[in-house]
Amino acid sequence: MEVFFEPKSLAVIGASKSPGNLGATICNFINYMKYECRMYAVNTKGESVMGCEGFTSVLDIPDEVDLAVIITPAEHVPGIAKECGRKGILRLIVESSGFSEEGDAGILLQEELDAAAAQYGIRYIGPNCLGVMNTHNRFCCFFGFVPGMYDLAFENPGTVSYIIQSGGIGVLAMDSFQADVTDVNKLISIGNKADIDESDMMAYMNEDNTEVIGMYLENVRNGRKLVEMAKKVTKPVLVYKVGKTGEGASAAMSHTAGMANNDVIFDNACRQAGIIRLRSISELYTLPKIFTEMPILRGKKIAIISNSGAFGGIASDLLVEEGFEIPVLSQETQDKLKKTGKLYNVSNPVDIGPALSIQTFNDIFDILLSSGEIDGLMPVPNVWQEVVIEAIIELIRKCQNYGKPAAIYIPNSIERILSIRKKYRVPVFESPEEAVRALAVSYQHYRYKKIKETHDEADAEGSHKERTEVIIRA
Amino acid sequence: MKQMLREAIRKGQKSLSEHDSRTVIESAGVSLSRGKLVNTRAEAVSVAREIGFPVVLKGCGHELTHKTELGAVRLKLRDREEVSEAYDEITGINAQMDGVLVQEWISGDGREFVMGLTRDQQFGPCVMFGLGGIFTEALNDVSFRVAPLTVYDAEEMINEIRTRKLLDEFRGSPAVDREVLVKSLIGLGELGTGYDEIKEIDINPVIISGTVPVAVDALVVLETGNGLGVNA
Repeated sequence: MEVFFEPKSLAVIGASKSPGNLGATICNFINYMKYECRMYAVNTKGESVMGCEGFTSVLDIPDEVDLAVIITPAEHVPGIAKECGRKGILRLIVESSGFSEEGDAGILLQEELDAAAAQYGIRYIGPNCLGVMNTHNRFCCFFGFVPGMYDLAFENPGTVSYIIQSGGIGVLAMDSFQADVTDVNKLISIGNKADIDESDMMAYMNEDNTEVIGMYLENVRNGRKLVEMAKKVTKPVLVYKVGKTGEGASAAMSHTAGMANNDVIFDNACRQAGIIRLRSISELYTLPKIFTEMPILRGKKIAIISNSGAFGGIASDLLVEEGFEIPVLSQETQDKLKKTGKLYNVSNPVDIGPALSIQTFNDIFDILLSSGEIDGLMPVPNVWQEVVIEAIIELIRKCQNYGKPAAIYIPNSIERILSIRKKYRVPVFESPEEAVRALAVSYQHYRYKKIKETHDEADAEGSHKERTEVIIRA
Repeated sequence: MKQMLREAIRKGQKSLSEHDSRTVIESAGVSLSRGKLVNTRAEAVSVAREIGFPVVLKGCGHELTHKTELGAVRLKLRDREEVSEAYDEITGINAQMDGVLVQEWISGDGREFVMGLTRDQQFGPCVMFGLGGIFTEALNDVSFRVAPLTVYDAEEMINEIRTRKLLDEFRGSPAVDREVLVKSLIGLGELGTGYDEIKEIDINPVIISGTVPVAVDALVVLETGNGLGVNA
């Protein structure tokens, strides 16, 4: 798999000097990124492209090649794949379109490509895909990229990797991250995923330097494989899938089959496999920061901190709706909180009122995070004083120390939120709904892994009773 | 059992009779209402006495998938006369039958659930659990798990239905024995992974009798397409 993301020697098949040639954009972009590898262009004339030495066939390249990107008309792809096999190039990225997505002739070409791959033991990404991107080593074989467009993504290599079936989603994530605290690690457009699919990539990313795996899927071909592999993945997997309104099997004889539209099964399979199913496409890039910037949420008890009564109430409603608890703090804790300053309310939500010193903020955070009465925080302070920003920065450090997360929302204009987030690199969410949802997915991930661990152990010991108790407690 | 399933497919059956369907789901650990297939009126009466009144009589045959609509189901028969009369009426229907099923009448407490198995093109055999009886389709309160199921999967899918409170102590009825449900759901998953001959299973309703979920109707739909190596 690594070869796809860090080739030492690369052939771009279909790159030529013809005007508008897409393969040439790949050569150009790789040169621009200064990714270090030996590069060759293969085209009918054997001409060199953008400094890449040209050949008419991969078989003529004197050197070893470990990865080939194919971007030729579809009808040539099976033949080219065979040549790659003969040359010993066993990893291909087929960016050409015109396969199963385009009717019978394309399906036939797909079969020929599969036969060629099977004959030589070739593994490939695509066809009909955009390519792969690795921000850490600056390798990117996306076609059509214009130098300069996405410099920021490469200047700030991140830890969130995406497996996508549409290039547009990758661009959306990169754009959105420009005003956020997370950044892209790898981006893989899997296209028709005729060979390597989302499950293979997910398994690979569970082992690499990725922290959160995001997926945009338009279809799932092998659902059982997805469930089996996702169960073994330890990192959070966030999936947005289109096609929510599938019809049930209309001609089904049984009620069971009639009730089983494909989306319901997909949804339930996600729960079974510990995959977090997203409710909106924006969650693909807004939620990862709760995993990358904060400790995991290990329980359902949340304390709300506000400096305006309204947002304490709003946050309470949203949290309860998501199944969280907002426990009334113990008398002991309330007494401690009272001593920190002139607080309006100390029971939970904690309403701290205006004009506090950084010391008071710090004391409140320490008291709450060390109380043992709560599992996480939802601070919703209006930033109407500079000290609030200072307090948020302190809080993030404290969350790491205490091993408990905070989902922060600041009730200010979106421009203000974005500028504070960018300037101070603090994981602030853009709405109270988003912050609550972040806590929910963090806890969902923790709960699945924890319960599964307990069950696996119980299975090994052959005891059933303990398992049931864990579930009831969870 | 494979033999029985293959034989039915070979004969061109689309589904199993209720009697054969019951045999299949019983092997998966589903608890059933007591019952017996009879072929004479006298046998019907003697089995009814054995089981204890009231009883239910149902025409039984693989083509009888909509028994109620055909008038082939008679509920809550209290004595010998009612059983005899029902037996004559059911056998008088113009339909292919293997016999008449005499089953115990499970009065239940109004709580009804559904269990089943379906095959999804992408996810393969999937087990279903949910609210049963006449509300199944109207309220669409069901959950699925991809087979094979672990104990955890079965427990989770039971907890996922919106009407899960019905499984707890409810309006004077005791809590439902979840272990029986868990065992049944895991068993249905095993039927799905172990028998390609089974296309779908419908167990509706599962009536709660005391604490025990009891299946009072069952339908096993057969895989009639090719790919089983059977000359269907």
